[in-house]
Amino acid sequence: MEAVEAYQRDVIWPANYNEIPKEIFVRQDLYQAEIARIFRGPEWHPVAHESEVPNKGDFKTCNLADVPLLVIRGQDDKVRAFYNACSHRSNQIEVKPSGNRSEFECPYHRWLFNSEGELVGCPNQREFTPGFDKADFPLAQPRQDSVGGLLFVTLSDETESLDAFLQEAKSSLLNIMGGDGRLKLLGYHRVRYLTNWKAYGDNDGYHPPLLHQAFTLLNWQGGAGRQYATTGRGHYCIDTELTVPQPTSLIRDSSVIEYRDEGRPKRSSVLALFPMLVASSYLNVISIRFATPTAIDEVEVNYAYFAHQDDDEAMIRHRIRQSSNAIGPSGLISMEDASVFHRVQIGNRTPGRAVFQKGVSDPSRLSFEFRQNDESGNLPHWEYYRTAMGFRRAAA
Amino acid sequence: MTRLTLDEHDRLDELQSRYITALDGKNMQSWLDTFVDDPAASYICMARSDFENGLQVAMMLDDCRDRLIDRCTFITEIWAGTFQDYRTRHFAQRVQTNRLENGNIAMSSNFSVVFSPDDTGLPQQLAVGTYEDIIKMDESDCRFLSRTTLTDNAVLPRYLVFPI
Repeated sequence: MEAVEAYQRDVIWPANYNEIPKEIFVRQDLYQAEIARIFRGPEWHPVAHESEVPNKGDFKTCNLADVPLLVIRGQDDKVRAFYNACSHRSNQIEVKPSGNRSEFECPYHRWLFNSEGELVGCPNQREFTPGFDKADFPLAQPRQDSVGGLLFVTLSDETESLDAFLQEAKSSLLNIMGGDGRLKLLGYHRVRYLTNWKAYGDNDGYHPPLLHQAFTLLNWQGGAGRQYATTGRGHYCIDTELTVPQPTSLIRDSSVIEYRDEGRPKRSSVLALFPMLVASSYLNVISIRFATPTAIDEVEVNYAYFAHQDDDEAMIRHRIRQSSNAIGPSGLISMEDASVFHRVQIGNRTPGRAVFQKGVSDPSRLSFEFRQNDESGNLPHWEYYRTAMGFRRAAA
Repeated sequence: MTRLTLDEHDRLDELQSRYITALDGKNMQSWLDTFVDDPAASYICMARSDFENGLQVAMMLDDCRDRLIDRCTFITEIWAGTFQDYRTRHFAQRVQTNRLENGNIAMSSNFSVVFSPDDTGLPQQLAVGTYEDIIKMDESDCRFLSRTTLTDNAVLPRYLVFPI
């Protein structure tokens, strides 16, 4: 029988599905448990899109919570994720954020690995343990799989397949990635937010027309659409018809909010995969936000922006200019989100519960289909989190 | 190419000071006024690592005069009242100048920016890096044709409201 953790004993989850105890955002022992049960547990975490390492030998380093990873495109053109640690004494292998190498040498004892992670050299091996074989010491790899070139890893052997994890969200993810995932990297915004990872992942459908002043000032109305949550795993997606505001004198360079035909359905989509991925297609901006907690009250978010491989030069330039100024931590449309991430975390230091209202018709029941501007779309995400962390729900 | 004179260096430093004073005072019109009134005027702020890797998405990509004006509109009208305000202190040191063949001046400066959020009051490093500028200078005027802010820190410690 699994031992009851202190946080499971102390925090009684409210009976109503629309109430969240604020204590969970600030409790240090819970944060440590989340790292173990979620980030090192049976979940899939996206770590790179293949287009970020387009050439053989290209690599990038990143962290999944506190675990350092190294993503390399091998000479065989396959993209793999490795633990960023030597298979000998676990010295960090690569220190640069990105680059290109045909071989990766650990400076400690000069063990040498090729771009497929195989150990190809190690000094003094005649003095090693009997039967030593280089083939037994490649760079270690977490379990991994990919969808549309988006590489996921899981640190647990018990995680179900990636397809089973994604459920209906798989097709939404592919649609956001241009339909087929054939992307071209345009660049990044990298920022840290002073917020708990759960507050970062709790953006809802209710707030956009209210928080984001660009919509109000440009008289920008959203199109028709739907919001759904997967029946397990806590993913949710808002998918609507894309609307573009009428020309306005408020903005001189309207290209920041201009939509150019991509030859695909004109949609606006935001997908949140549990625990932290946000992928979005908005106007002509294709964005995948790789995020990870760095502390109980801090997350690092790498907004990666993409073009489609079939884009012409004019479309690529348009996407670069729009990605830079429309969406992101300093974007015309989205800067306010960044502010809210900080402020919600400050407010969560107060006692009590956060209460969801918009779209909640019956707090005692969980639903999975919502109107696009409901905040109730987040509730299956919270219910999945509650069960993943083993919180008891109070009796109704 | 002739070396820049002491007077020209003095005018470059005066432009730098006007830029700093504008941003530290959150006076966006004064910030705009440090750029030439030319459709090609530009301000770009991005991570040095992205610039060196040939990536073009920027934290702020105001590559024409209209976008410079829009930047001021974002801050003073569209985002007003929604962000946690903060005050900056910019420290800049001119390290290199060159007169270009077309008469413009290229200037590089190191910078360090400290910010103090209104809510906590605790100062923190916001960014460190270099300014890479092209400056138009004639007898009566001295302004940026372009200023590119390259941050050595690839990761910003918070969201940006104001240019750096």
